[in-house]
Amino acid sequence: MTVFLQLVVSALGFGGIYALAALGLTIIFKTSNVVNFAFGAMATVVAMVAWTANVSLGLPIALAWVLAILGGGALGAAAESVFLRRVEGAPPIVGIVMTLGLLLLVEGLTGLAWGYGPKVIPNVFSGPSIAIGPVFVDRNDLFITGLALAIAIGLHFFYARTRLGLAVRAVAEDAEVASLMGISRRWVLAVSWAVGVAVTGAAATLAAPSISLTPTMMDNIAVFAFAAAVLGGLGSLAGAVAGGFAVGIVANLIAGYASTNLQLTLVFALIVVVLYLRPQGLFGRVARVRQ
Amino acid sequence: MLLRRARPVAAARAGATSQKAATLVVLAVALVFPLFEGANVSVMGIAIEVLTYGLVTLALNLLMGYGGQVSIGHGGLLAVGAYTTAIVATRFRLPFIVVLVLAGVVTAVVGLLLGLPAGRLRSHYLAVATLGFGVAVPQIALNLGSLTGGFTGLIVPTPYIGTIALNEPVPLYYVALGILALSVVAIRSILASPTGRRFMAVRDSEDTAPAMGINVGRTKVVIFTVSSFFCGLAGYVFALNNGIVEPDSFTFSLSLFFFAAVIVGGLASIWGSLIGAALLVVVQQESVSLGGFSEAILGAAVVVMLLLAPGGLAALPRRLRGLVAGAWRPHPEAVSAAGPLDQHRAPPSAGSPGEG
Repeated sequence: MTVFLQLVVSALGFGGIYALAALGLTIIFKTSNVVNFAFGAMATVVAMVAWTANVSLGLPIALAWVLAILGGGALGAAAESVFLRRVEGAPPIVGIVMTLGLLLLVEGLTGLAWGYGPKVIPNVFSGPSIAIGPVFVDRNDLFITGLALAIAIGLHFFYARTRLGLAVRAVAEDAEVASLMGISRRWVLAVSWAVGVAVTGAAATLAAPSISLTPTMMDNIAVFAFAAAVLGGLGSLAGAVAGGFAVGIVANLIAGYASTNLQLTLVFALIVVVLYLRPQGLFGRVARVRQ
Repeated sequence: MLLRRARPVAAARAGATSQKAATLVVLAVALVFPLFEGANVSVMGIAIEVLTYGLVTLALNLLMGYGGQVSIGHGGLLAVGAYTTAIVATRFRLPFIVVLVLAGVVTAVVGLLLGLPAGRLRSHYLAVATLGFGVAVPQIALNLGSLTGGFTGLIVPTPYIGTIALNEPVPLYYVALGILALSVVAIRSILASPTGRRFMAVRDSEDTAPAMGINVGRTKVVIFTVSSFFCGLAGYVFALNNGIVEPDSFTFSLSLFFFAAVIVGGLASIWGSLIGAALLVVVQQESVSLGGFSEAILGAAVVVMLLLAPGGLAALPRRLRGLVAGAWRPHPEAVSAAGPLDQHRAPPSAGSPGEG
């Protein structure tokens, strides 16, 4: 039993990372109805910028973080205004093709700019694990989990209780009518992409200390994040968080009881089963005809 | 008025004739190619790769361009074909044609199993599911060590026709060419048949296809099965060309490569698939020493194609002909042949419902 609990608890770190990555994906999907397949690559850029700021320029890690995440926001906004804006209102396949193209482009450019050799970046928190009952919790994992939950709750309040959040939901619902009410669709979309990439970028920067920082480091995490977002239902923030932790815990249990190599396979099997039984995911609404 | 009617028909007929001529020329070049480069092992290796990847791209285009589905996991299907080849050839002594057909059939079965749940999914969810499939297959191969050789993979034993070793560059080249040519013929006849028309009906509108008596779910499964069969055949050639089949050969990047080749070549175009694959193989080979260049170029090509030439390379001649002919009115066929990606130029207010 203790082994089981320990496996669950040590999954909180990566669970939080998947949750954050899935959140970033969901934020973008909610507003622009596009699955940003390039989100992993964009997030890697954020982590790379943090590395450059911290290791090359010698800035303190927290400051490097903040700069990187702001940079990620800029990248997201730029991607939206330059590329995605031109294919608005098109069938979903176009968005898929565009973001996959961007994935290749961004990953390639990252490799050219920073090279493929693995880099080292320190954790935000370090120190001995904290003992809670029979299990040990890593400080950094606690921070990640807390951050994921805080961001999720913050976003929930943003969308539900603030005027800007209302504006964002209006654009997601019906952009034309929203513009009739004076809501700038361009601005809302750019901001959504900025926040989405920034949040996923945070996930990448948090993951970087554990898995070596390379241009392709987010590839595996991206698959788990997709699984999480799809499991929870694309477009559902709660689903993204729940899905993220669920995927993280299940993956860790698989690694603990079976083999690390089977994680991707079984997670994939999980996605397929869930989608087969409930195509809209756990928390998602049934797909509207307007796509 | 007579003239105006005559010109489009003449243009179409001229188009068909020039296509046949082009096909013959390319075929002739392909047949004599080894006479010039046969001794150069690396060039032949690249040529065989072009043929192999061309077939996979064609299979993917069948799924995407003609069937309206999405897959970013076709590398996984190639892996199934390649592993089947290696596993069967290692354990049994069978004529090469049997192994080839087995590779196709086994992969088709996998495709069928993939198509069953996939038939219920649309666009984004389907893309993610195929993504998962693509990365899961090599992982499964990694884990079934006793069957697949695990991490080190399997060495593919040499098949023979009489005394000719099939995994020598020149014989393999002709085998690959033959398989590709036969596959093209097969795919063209499938597309011209009622089955093919069912594919395109489902592609064009999943919601109204049932009104024509089409079982959408079943048609999608058939699309996946057929596409997978051809991937299996390509897997056979892939296995022989590489000599060894290991999990690391089948990365997500490979699946993305095929996807990019389809887009760059042009959806719903047989020629486009082959040209796209050839182009991208060459790009990849040239930039192998330059690190991330090949990826960045592939990505840029996809994005640029999407924005400027959604029909892909295959649509360029048609557009060029349009420019050259001046006041030529577009043939009705050319207009309806506008691909799914051309719709992105529609204004947002045209919100087309239910396009999967």
